[in-house]
Amino acid sequence: MIALTLPAQDGGSFTPPSVTSHLAPFFTIGGFEFTKQMALVLLSVVIIAWFFIAAARKGQLVPGRLQFAGEMAYGFVRNSVGKDVIGAKDFKKYVPLLFSLFFFILLNNLYGTIPWIQLPSFSHVTGAYFLALLVYVIWIGVGVKENGLRYFKLAVVPSGVPWYILPLVVPIEIISNFVVRPMTHSLRLFATMLAGHLIVLIAGSGIEFLIAQESWLLKGTSILVLAGATAMYMLEALIMVLQAYVFVLLTAIYIEGAVHADSH
Amino acid sequence: MTGNINGSLNLIGYGLSAIGGAIGVGLVFAAYINGVARQPEAQRVLQPLAFLGLALTEALAILGLVFAFVLK
Amino acid sequence: MNNLMVLASANAAEAAPSPLSVNWSELLVVAVGFAILMFIVIKYVVPMFEKTYADRTEAIEGGIARAEKAQAEASAALDEYKQQLVDARTEANRIREEARAEGAQILADLKERAASESARITEQAQTAIAAERQAAVVSLRAEVGSLATTLAGRIVGESLDDDARAARVVDRFLADLEKQSEGARK
Repeated sequence: MIALTLPAQDGGSFTPPSVTSHLAPFFTIGGFEFTKQMALVLLSVVIIAWFFIAAARKGQLVPGRLQFAGEMAYGFVRNSVGKDVIGAKDFKKYVPLLFSLFFFILLNNLYGTIPWIQLPSFSHVTGAYFLALLVYVIWIGVGVKENGLRYFKLAVVPSGVPWYILPLVVPIEIISNFVVRPMTHSLRLFATMLAGHLIVLIAGSGIEFLIAQESWLLKGTSILVLAGATAMYMLEALIMVLQAYVFVLLTAIYIEGAVHADSH
Repeated sequence: MTGNINGSLNLIGYGLSAIGGAIGVGLVFAAYINGVARQPEAQRVLQPLAFLGLALTEALAILGLVFAFVLK
Repeated sequence: MNNLMVLASANAAEAAPSPLSVNWSELLVVAVGFAILMFIVIKYVVPMFEKTYADRTEAIEGGIARAEKAQAEASAALDEYKQQLVDARTEANRIREEARAEGAQILADLKERAASESARITEQAQTAIAAERQAAVVSLRAEVGSLATTLAGRIVGESLDDDARAARVVDRFLADLEKQSEGARK
């Protein structure tokens, strides 16, 4: 889809990596292709579980360094995402979900900043679809459980709107709450990760291509590309953390909206 | 030095559609920052609202991305 | 370079699944991985952290409770001490009052006893004086009578040995005398 060709003096041309170029799978069993992403996802589960169990296991009143780090990470999700958004009364139930989501996404995103791994798992859309679908099912389930079937009426009919506007508003609410919401929830994560991954890759292969040129002028411009790529890399690192936060925060907001559908 | 650039026009469309989302997200966060600056204690109330606004606004840009990929 | 480009375009032409399409094997792996993670988090991580939080809250609140208890004990002890002090003071006052009352009582008793003693002594003295006076009167009467009779007899030369007459005279005289003295006393 992105087929950008730059002619160069020596006749070769630059072909940047595109969204359709994938690494070959590590191995294939039947139709099952075990790719680098899958290895990284499984690795992230192991790392998160290992780290937090090690941090939480001792449970000392005066925490050690590891426990303190674990508690800070846990307390961040628990208090500033869960408690602040869902409310102190009923946030406890959802802490495990928010916590797992945040660190699962965070670690899988941060793979993109680690040299030689450099592949955020959610630059493939499937994982993002799965997580968003899970959250979608959960918040609808929570809404129905807390409010009964009346929840759907509460969710799509905003209060305080005159009746003659309702035919306009209700379809918009249905589309935005039940169709666009899960879609954007997943695609936001996927698109930012893909873009970040691609931009680093394009810059990397661009530098490689430019250095291989004979002209010293073109060789020199690779430094500009490198500077730009470094800046983008920093920005991407920030966005990776931010997207994990946004994903979990939106999860919490959706759940809160489902729990307190009465008051919205 | 002559050259040609070929590719999908969809991406130009996506770039245009992203402008709206970008402006919208900027407005949402500008309002959020204004609100918090005037009333720092309201931050806890405003934050979910700001991110909900972000999600709704960004939806448009994301829809643009989807169509850029889907439409041939 | 040309080879690479050909390869890339060949790949793109060959399958080129849309980047938005689902890769089922990847879905499976992510689902299983996330399920394992959720399980571990629900089963171990969150309970352990929550337990630590609860323990810590408990420890802090327990400490506060202990301090409050100590404070209460101290203030109770202080109250008790103050109460004792007040008690001791009232006790002392009472004893002092009692002693004062007792002293007054003793003084009054002594006064009364002294007064009665003096009254008794006075009365005794008066009785004794009266008796002596009586005795003196009696003896005087007898002596004065005989003396006066004798003297009168000598003067008048007439024997006044007639006792009956003499006694009558003497008695009349003494009666006059007493009448006079009574009139003088009045």
